[in-house]
Amino acid sequence: MISESLAIGGRAITKWLRNPFAVIAALIQATFWLVLFGNSFNPANAVSSSPLGGGSLGFFQQAFGGAANYITFLTPGVIGIVSLTTMSFMGVDVVLDRMSGYLDMLSTCPIPRTSIYFGAMLQNVAKAMATALVTFLLAFFVPNGLRLVQGFNGLDLAGVLLTFALLSLVFSALFSGIAISVKSTDSFFALVNFLTFPIMFTSTALFPLGFFPSWMKPFAQANPVSLASEATRLLIVKGSLSGAQVSSFAGDIIGLMVYGVLFGVLGILMAKNALRPR
Amino acid sequence: MTKIIEAECLTKVFPPSTKAVDGVSFSVDEGEIFGFLGPNGAGKTTTIRILTTLTSITEGRATVAGHDVKVAPAEVRQSIGVVPQEVTLDNELKGIENLMLSAKLQHVKKSDALERAGELLQLVELDGASDRRVRTYSGGMKRRLQLITALIHRPRILFLDEPTSGLDVQTRTKIWEYLKQLNSEGLTIFMTTHYLEEADQLSHRVAIMDHGRIVVSGSPSELKETLHGDVLTLEFSDGTADLTPFLSRIEDVAEVVRSGGAYRLKLPKVETALPGIVASVAAKGLKIKQMSLTKPTMDQVFLEVTGRSMRDAEEPQSNGMSHALVAGVEAK
Repeated sequence: MISESLAIGGRAITKWLRNPFAVIAALIQATFWLVLFGNSFNPANAVSSSPLGGGSLGFFQQAFGGAANYITFLTPGVIGIVSLTTMSFMGVDVVLDRMSGYLDMLSTCPIPRTSIYFGAMLQNVAKAMATALVTFLLAFFVPNGLRLVQGFNGLDLAGVLLTFALLSLVFSALFSGIAISVKSTDSFFALVNFLTFPIMFTSTALFPLGFFPSWMKPFAQANPVSLASEATRLLIVKGSLSGAQVSSFAGDIIGLMVYGVLFGVLGILMAKNALRPR
Repeated sequence: MTKIIEAECLTKVFPPSTKAVDGVSFSVDEGEIFGFLGPNGAGKTTTIRILTTLTSITEGRATVAGHDVKVAPAEVRQSIGVVPQEVTLDNELKGIENLMLSAKLQHVKKSDALERAGELLQLVELDGASDRRVRTYSGGMKRRLQLITALIHRPRILFLDEPTSGLDVQTRTKIWEYLKQLNSEGLTIFMTTHYLEEADQLSHRVAIMDHGRIVVSGSPSELKETLHGDVLTLEFSDGTADLTPFLSRIEDVAEVVRSGGAYRLKLPKVETALPGIVASVAAKGLKIKQMSLTKPTMDQVFLEVTGRSMRDAEEPQSNGMSHALVAGVEAK
C-alpha cells in the first residue's frame, strides 16, 4: 500500500512541479495577505492614529501576545489560511483526475483503494507544506515583516515545521476525501468555499482570541487554524519554550493530531464509499 | 477452448429505473478477439465497466479469468489490462514515465518493466518519443501510449472501450495492426466499438448490442451469411409502375423490396443472377438509371437485426465493402 500511495502521490507532485502555476497562484495570495492585509489592517496603525488612545503601543503588544509587529503575529495565521486555500487551488487536481477517468483507471489496477486516498493526501500535504514554507520565508521580506524572537533556535524551527506539517495533514485528510467523493469541480469549489470562510473567520489567524465575542471563543479555540497559529506564535514570539509554554504547545499539537485522525478516518470512509463499484 | 470471460444474465439497473444492461449472456474464449458492437447508449460501456470491476452488478454473474467479478475483484484486476475511452495519461509526464508509473501500480519489477516498455514502445512505434512529455504528443500517439500502458504487466485479457473512436483512418488501421499482433501472441481482447468495420476487421466473434440486450452474436462471416447473399439496388429512369412482381420472377432473385424509387434485390448467387436480370430488364425495354451491388456488411446485419440502420452522429461510416458495379453508378 505504501509503495502504491507513493507512486500515485509522486506522480501528482511531479506533475505539479513541472507546471507550477498553482504554486505561484498560492504564493501571490500569500503575498497579498501579508503585504496588503498585514499593513492595512495593522491594529498598531489604528492605535497610533486614533485621537483617543494616541500612541499606546503597549496595548498592542499586550493584545497580540508580545509580537514584535502585526505581521509577526499574522504570519502563522496566513500560513494556516494559505494551507486551507491551497486545498482548493490544488486539491482540485484530484477532482479533475476523477472527471478524466484517471481514478477509474487506478481502480482497475490491483492496488488497495485506500492507496488512492493516501496518494491524494500525500500530494496535498506536499503542496500545502511547500506553500507554508515559502510563505514563512516570504514574511521576512515584506515591509514591516516577520521578526523572530531573539534566540530562535533549531528546536524552535523544528517545532514550527512540525506544526505546519500537522496542519497540512489535517486539511489534506479532509479535503482529499472530499475531492475523491465529489463528481465535479463546481461542487468541489462550492464545498471548499463553504468550509474555508467559517474556518478562517472563526480562527485566531488574523486577530487574537481576546478580540472575539464570548460566544465565538470556544469555536475559535477549537479551530485547527487557531491551534496551529497559536503553536507557531509561541515559537516565533517567545522561543525556547519552558514550563507552561511547553504544555500549551503540546496541547495545540495533540489537538491537531486528533483532528488529523478524525479527518483521516472520515476521509478514508468517504474515499472508500466513492471508489466502490456502483 | 477455455472460457476466459463468462457472463450469465448480466443486468444493470441505474436508479431509479434505467436498465443499461438487460439480461446479457455471453462467453469469450481464451485467445479470442471479441467485439461488442452497438450504437452509443446500447450498454457496451456499462458491460465493460462491470467486467473490469468498476460497476456493480444488479443481477446475474460474471467471471473474468476464472474469478467472479463481484466476489473476487482484486483477483480479476490482476489478470486484466484496461484501455478506457478517455485518455488517462499524464500530460506532464514523459511517455516512459507514464509506462513506469503503470508498472509500479501493477507491481512489475523495474528491470522487467523497462524491458517490456522497450518492446511495447517499439510495437506501437513510439520508441523515438518516449522521452518527450505526453503533452507534446498527437491524439493518435496518446492513444497508442495509452494502449501499451495497459499491457506493461502482460495481462491475460485486454479490455478496450472504443479504442479508435475519433481517430483518423491511418491511425485506426495502425491500432488494428497492433491489436492483431498482440492477439497473435496469445492476448485475449474484449473490445467495444460502434464502428461496424472495426468489429468486422478485428473480431473473431461479435455480439451486437441494442437497448441493453444482445440481439445477435457470431463470427462476422457467419452473421453476414445469415443475410443470404448480395444486394443489388436498381433504379429505373422511367415509370412509376410497381416492378416488384416482374423482378421477383427473374431467376436467382431471392427477394425484392421496393423502397422509394429503388428496388433492393437479394441475390444468393450473384454470378448467375446478374446476366439474367440485365437481359430481362432490356427485353422489357426498361432503362436503368442507377445500379449498385453491395456485398453483405455488418451494416446490413445491424439493419436486419435491429430494424434500423446504425447511423452515427459522430462520423460517417466508411464502408469499404460496398462497391459500384457499373460506371457512373453512385456507390451506396
